[in-house]
Amino acid sequence: MAVPLTTPAKSRTPAARAGGNRRNERGAAALFMVPFFVLFALVTLAPIGYAAYMSLYREQSSGLGFGGTERLFVGLGNFTETLADERFLASFGHIALYCAVYIPVMIGAALGLALLVDSALTRAKRFFQIAYYLPHAVPGLIASLIWLYLYTPGLSPLTDTLATLGSDWNFFGKDEAFFSIVNVSAWQWIGYNMIIFYAGLQAIPRETLEAATVDGAGAWRTALQVKIPMIRSTVVLTLLFTIVGAIQLFDAPKLIQLRAAELGTDWSPTMYIFAQAFENRDYGQAAAASLLLAVVAGVLSYVVTKLGNRWKAA
Amino acid sequence: MSRTSRTARIALTASIASLSLFATACGGDDRDSGKAGSDGGKPVEITYWSATAGAKETVDAFNKSQKDIKVTFGLVPSGPEGVQKLTNAIKAGNAPDVATMDYSMLPEFASAGSLEDLSGASGALVKEKFPENINSLVNLGGKTWAVPFDVTPIEMFYRKDIFEKHKVAVPKTWDEYRAAAEKITKADPSVKITNFGGGDPALLAGLSWQAGAKWYGTSGDAWKVDMTDAASKKVATYWDDLLKDGLASKTPLWGEGEQKERATGKTATIIGAAWSAGSFPVSYPDAKGKWAVAPVPTWDGKPATGMYGGTSFIAPKGSDTEAAAEFIEWVTTNPEAMTARIKSQKTPSSALPANEEMRAVAAKEFDTSYFNGQDVYALAGQAADSIVPGWTWGPVNGAVVSAQGTSGADHTKALDLGQAAAEKAIKDRGLKLAE
Repeated sequence: MAVPLTTPAKSRTPAARAGGNRRNERGAAALFMVPFFVLFALVTLAPIGYAAYMSLYREQSSGLGFGGTERLFVGLGNFTETLADERFLASFGHIALYCAVYIPVMIGAALGLALLVDSALTRAKRFFQIAYYLPHAVPGLIASLIWLYLYTPGLSPLTDTLATLGSDWNFFGKDEAFFSIVNVSAWQWIGYNMIIFYAGLQAIPRETLEAATVDGAGAWRTALQVKIPMIRSTVVLTLLFTIVGAIQLFDAPKLIQLRAAELGTDWSPTMYIFAQAFENRDYGQAAAASLLLAVVAGVLSYVVTKLGNRWKAA
Repeated sequence: MSRTSRTARIALTASIASLSLFATACGGDDRDSGKAGSDGGKPVEITYWSATAGAKETVDAFNKSQKDIKVTFGLVPSGPEGVQKLTNAIKAGNAPDVATMDYSMLPEFASAGSLEDLSGASGALVKEKFPENINSLVNLGGKTWAVPFDVTPIEMFYRKDIFEKHKVAVPKTWDEYRAAAEKITKADPSVKITNFGGGDPALLAGLSWQAGAKWYGTSGDAWKVDMTDAASKKVATYWDDLLKDGLASKTPLWGEGEQKERATGKTATIIGAAWSAGSFPVSYPDAKGKWAVAPVPTWDGKPATGMYGGTSFIAPKGSDTEAAAEFIEWVTTNPEAMTARIKSQKTPSSALPANEEMRAVAAKEFDTSYFNGQDVYALAGQAADSIVPGWTWGPVNGAVVSAQGTSGADHTKALDLGQAAAEKAIKDRGLKLAE
């Protein structure tokens, strides 16, 4: 809309016509990109701007508070307060611990499954691909709800089975709840990453694998010493993206916390923000914490992309 | 490769954007539409949000009973989700004119400037038609912020058959309660006196209230917080000891396994409130005739109790308080409201109305056969009279409940965590904290 689509109808020289075409193309490209930038401005830039504005203010009551609240400009006060809040810092600790448990389990299982499906022994490869991928097609919130039911004694066939086996594992216990969260994430992401790894494995030249067989390597040896090293960069990239994703973990812990109060309502950084805003009504500090989280995620993404590019090049 | 991913991203952004536009369109403001018409003979339209059972039927009955006010009802989620929804609506300026709210959350809303002052419209009503010992729950800082709906005296539900089998008398004091626990568990180690593994800080609050604690209070223009006083500590230690000595089950309240323990005779008592009675026939149908109600044990043998839960009616900021107060008066004191509410329920709730006239209606409808004909309402009424007066909830209860929830079954720790969280949250909000 902003760029005129009409160009001089009759060009004088071939060179000028080429130039006109190029301008024409550029105009078309701009037209196609306008909706993106409009939406980007509306749903990404504007909210960030508003959050930045909110983060500079604070609703302040005085005395008993019955007189209502007033809005005060506090500069960077919300940011310093957030950074000094040990609950905010602890929430990043929880995520670090979560990564330490979740990533080996998830990557290991995805890789193992990918190798199995890729191995010559497997029949019905397409079936397994789809079957393993299905959990990822379930929205995160729904997945968490499903697992919430599966963790609840009386509703879940799982807990009953465990009970008959003599186990008193409580999925909502103080320590167990952590693994319940890891499990939901793993269930969701193993299949997805397995597909990525499988695609990587399929791209390995068959000659290489034949050469390995000719040289006397068995299936195990081929998998460990030929296949895995050849999709190394894919694995590392997946790992890095998983870390960036983990920093925004919300659905699973938020829902599980409803039954496992001991996790605390501020277990992950996003939960901390949610609690600050809607439990403690501190919208200013919630906005500040959101921006800080965005910065952390942004820096992590940048580092990951840089590292990823280096790996891709290698 | 990079081009496709960008296209995908644009498509995703676009679809998210259209979704969110759709959602906003659905959530548009439909209030204020009929208010102006009140002069022209058209009824004043107000909105009312609640999560309580039978609220819709009550509204229908109100709308039929008169022509001046038309109430539109909106069902909201119960618990924290409902509270958050109301908070956001008030923040966004599209709150209803009337809503129900737990007593424990009332000061939090009042002290954030989120409620209309009902002193003028309902102050006299609260004073005249409701028990004095719960006035402190709705009158704060010299103003009336809500009208009580129910009173929730803590009571003890006990398995008559278990007490008889082990020849244990029904305990009247907490010392006797512990002695009963020792005797029963000694005779049958699989039976515990009750389950008390944390999970509901409100019960710890109610039992501290009974013991004479006042977790919150005001002094001048400052809030006082005192959860680590001698009375609260006595209560917390008492229960921590019962748990430590294996006399009470560590299953959390409302938690996994509670239902099973209570239904299969593994818990000899349940510390509940007036509203609990109605849930027994539904939750433990097989134990019909085995459960009975008694006053909750006390520390000195004299009748005393605290409250556990309970609902009041508020007028959020921006409400049409005149019409709101009229509806609130009807719904909290008119027996017709109670009849409509109860008629809508398959198994009538045992909530004890704060207003005396309403109580009679509710009592008549309640089927006492589950409790062998015990007069459940009369007992609850007596318990309500023994509620220790003067308790006030605080302005930061949400933060306190979250903090206390993380302590699990350690009640002494819950008190410390609650105290620290309350002090921090009060200061964070700029409220004045008494030294």
